[in-house]
Amino acid sequence: MTGLLRERVALVVGGASGLGEAIAHRFAAEGATVAVADANGPGAQTVADAIVAHGHNAVAVEADVTVTADVERMVAVAAGLGPLRVLVLSAAVESSVPLVDLSDDEWQHVLDVDLTGPFRVMRAGIPHLIAHGGGSVIALGSTLGLTVAPGYPAYCAAKGALVNLCKQAAIDYAPQGVRVNVLAPSATDTGLFMEHSARAPDPEAVRAMVARANPMRRLGTADEVGDAAVFLASDMSTYVSGTVIALDGGLAARRL
Amino acid sequence: MTTAAYPDFERLLDGRVACITGSGSGQGRAAALLMAQHGARIVVADVNAAGAHETVRMLEEQGAEGLALVVDVSERPSCDEMVATTMERFGRIDVLYNNAAVQMSGAVVDCTDEQWDLTIRTNLSAIFYACRAAIPHMLAGDGGSIINTASTLGLSASEGFAAYGAAKAGLVKLTQQIAVEYGPAVRANVIAPGSIDTPRFRKVLDATPGADAWIERLTGNIPVRRLGLAEDVAATALFLASDLSGYISGAILPVDGGLAATR
Repeated sequence: MTGLLRERVALVVGGASGLGEAIAHRFAAEGATVAVADANGPGAQTVADAIVAHGHNAVAVEADVTVTADVERMVAVAAGLGPLRVLVLSAAVESSVPLVDLSDDEWQHVLDVDLTGPFRVMRAGIPHLIAHGGGSVIALGSTLGLTVAPGYPAYCAAKGALVNLCKQAAIDYAPQGVRVNVLAPSATDTGLFMEHSARAPDPEAVRAMVARANPMRRLGTADEVGDAAVFLASDMSTYVSGTVIALDGGLAARRL
Repeated sequence: MTTAAYPDFERLLDGRVACITGSGSGQGRAAALLMAQHGARIVVADVNAAGAHETVRMLEEQGAEGLALVVDVSERPSCDEMVATTMERFGRIDVLYNNAAVQMSGAVVDCTDEQWDLTIRTNLSAIFYACRAAIPHMLAGDGGSIINTASTLGLSASEGFAAYGAAKAGLVKLTQQIAVEYGPAVRANVIAPGSIDTPRFRKVLDATPGADAWIERLTGNIPVRRLGLAEDVAATALFLASDLSGYISGAILPVDGGLAATR
């Protein structure tokens, strides 16, 4: 480790599991103080404890991105740890109900977590980034926000809208030093895809099929998402903003 | 879950060999210096011999190893020779960074055959030649990373850049083809720089009447309100060359201060 993220605080929303957890570990190893926020409070605590056990700095915050007051509190906790310079928007739910069967409640819930959640976190967090001379916002999108897949209407719509929201934030706050980018992973070996595929009759067969269909013939790893997030959070990417980085082994290249 | 070793962010290219076209100046030179800092040995290919030798001198000054090659990428034999010489000298090629390009202006009806041919040959065919020559060595070795330089002009059109825009857009699709065809071992990605303040940029500027007002307008349209630096682009090239981007392929990374997001 070389301390690429020394002397800055990173708020990782959705940090209790999956890709958010991997990013929190990577950031802490690079010297950031990490606020691990999640609706799953005990899960966030476990991740923060593991980071501290490695000799790095982290605190847990139990907070729900669908509740504005919770979001404001998590941002306040993070800002209390030092200069808040990085926001990671990783909390998400996946939904695979066909459009004509999709209830108002499920539609609303998916948009509330996957789109309005990132909006709330940016609204509360960006002023802190500006106050410290700028910073980096990293939203976890999905290849399903760039192209679509059969049967994911709410999820694809939310992730697609997230891309334009991030571009908007990127151009509006760029003059104040805030960069906003989207990391768009395809199926990775941790997180939502593993949970989703676990519900299939033969999870391993589903995972093998998805891996085979990828140009790299494998799933992505959480560490690979963490490494790309370090790039975007660090000064390696100071002229990179408003972009969507597909982290998908080449999958989207077939369709875009 | 695959548990790879924690990356050494100071030595991201230890033991690797990177061949960088157009590295006798500007963005290519900045990438050569940065990749060498991270442990790579560099093939400095440029049509301008003096520039290539100067970059190698700078590499040696920082204790790194570089090989200067005079290469006209628009000539297929020259590309083949570049890859062959790289293999003879270093025995491997891990990174191919196709950065060389010509920038010629001209709207469709004003674009001569010569301008069209030179632009397409240098900015598109050259990349095909170099990739075709290098990929078999990457496949036989430890895989590789190909980085092709497009431009924000390869993503959207701009008045007066007919041949340039077409070549750069073609380059994007060629790169994605490579990503899909050689996925398991070879990654291929596009960097799309915006307005970068390099010697070539300054040369164009010096020939432009009212350059100061033009620069001011240009900078005002860039969300971060500054021109890019060669070092900005080099850092993204380093990311794409290294294992930090191990699952990123067929992607387009604008390094443009947010410009593409406005279009």
